Amino acid sequence: MEASNSARLDTLLKRGELIESMSEMTPDYLKELKHTLIVSGDTELISAPAYYLAAKKAPSVNAFMTGIAIIQDELAHAHIAYHILEELGESQEYLIFKRDPKDFRYPYAFDVPLESWTELVTANALYDQAGFNLLGDIHEQCSYGPWKRGLVKVMAEENFHLRNGRNWMKRISQAGGAAKDELQQAVDWMFPLTVEWFGLPDNLKQHSAQLDYRLKGLTNDQLRQAWLSTVVPFLDSIGINAPAHQEGNAWVLNYPFPSTFDADDKRWDFNDPCTWDDVLSRWRARGPRNAEMVALFQESFHKFQVRA
Amino acid sequence: MGAFRLMPFTRVHQNVREYEVFARKARVDSLRQVGSVVAPDDDLARAYARATYDEERWIEMVIVPKESMISLWAPGEDEP
Ligand SMILES: [Fe+2]
Ligand SMILES: [Fe+2]
Repeated sequence: MEASNSARLDTLLKRGELIESMSEMTPDYLKELKHTLIVSGDTELISAPAYYLAAKKAPSVNAFMTGIAIIQDELAHAHIAYHILEELGESQEYLIFKRDPKDFRYPYAFDVPLESWTELVTANALYDQAGFNLLGDIHEQCSYGPWKRGLVKVMAEENFHLRNGRNWMKRISQAGGAAKDELQQAVDWMFPLTVEWFGLPDNLKQHSAQLDYRLKGLTNDQLRQAWLSTVVPFLDSIGINAPAHQEGNAWVLNYPFPSTFDADDKRWDFNDPCTWDDVLSRWRARGPRNAEMVALFQESFHKFQVRA
Repeated sequence: MGAFRLMPFTRVHQNVREYEVFARKARVDSLRQVGSVVAPDDDLARAYARATYDEERWIEMVIVPKESMISLWAPGEDEP
C-alpha cells in the first residue's frame, strides 16, 4: 500500500501533474509540504506586526492608509497558508495563537525592528522583493495544486507592495540630504539581512527534498541571484549604494558572506566574517522584536478566551 | 471588558462556517474559486470575502457555505 502510493506520487510528479489530495501524498511529501507552508504562513503573518509598528510613523494619513492596506494583504496571505495547513490536518488556532514566539519559522530579518517610514518602505522594496522571488518560484513550480492556485492573489499583491516600496525609496532619494542619508543607512543593514534570507549557499546544502518534490523549483543560490539581479540595478538607478556588483552573469557580494551582525546597533561587521553555524545560532535565538510582535496577535486571543 | 470575557472565542470552531468564495473579472469569464473565509454568519462572511479577496476589480462575487457543496468526484479519490 505504502509502496504503491509512493510509486503513484512519483508518476504524478514526473508527469508534471498537480497533487490535489492527501490520499496522493506520501508521509514524507506531506511533511515537506507542511514545513514549506509553515515558513510561508509565518513569514506573511509576522510581516503584519513588523510593518504595523513602522506604519505608525507614516508621514501622512494617505501614506498610513497604504501601509495598512499592505498589512491587510499580508494577513490574507498568511490565511491562505494556514488554511491549507488546516485542510492538511493542522490546527490553525494552535499555529497562530498558541505557539511559543521562538517556534515561529520566519526569516530573522523581521526580528530587527523597523523603526521609521524610511525603513518600512525599504522593507517593501527589499523584503517583499524576496517574498516575490520565493513565492513566484512556488507559484510557477509548486506540485501542490491548492497552494499554486492560492498564490495567484498573493503574487498580484506582492507586486504592489514592492512597487510602493520602490516609489517611496525613489522619492526619498531624490529629496537628498538627511532623508537620503537615512535611506542609505537603512539599505546598509537591511540589504545583507535579505541576502541571508535565502538560506545556506548551495555548496553547503547537499540535498533539498523541497526540490525533489517540486515544492519549489529554484535553489537557494538561484533565488538569491534572482533577487540581486533586480535589487542592485534598482538601487543603482536611484543613486543608493548596493554592496554587490556584476561579474559576467553572476552577482557578487562586496563583503564576506556570512558576516557578523549586531542587531541592537543594526550594524554589520564586515571585518568579522563568521561561519554558517554562527548565523544559524543567531537565527535560532531569534532577534529583538520576536516576542513583542507575536504578542501583538496572540494577546487578544488569550484575553477573550472563556475559562473552562 | 467584563462581558467580552464571557464570549467564547470562535474563529475556527462549532459556531462558525466555512464559505468558498467565487469570482470573475470579465463577462466572458466563468466564475472560479478564489479562496475561502470562515465566519459566524452570512453577513460577516460577505464582509470578509469582500475585504479579503480585493486583489481584482471583480464584476461578480459569490459565496457558498462549504457544506452545501456536493462533491461527485475529485482527484485522488476513487474513480466514479
Ligand atoms: Fe505577503
Ligand atoms: Fe508583501
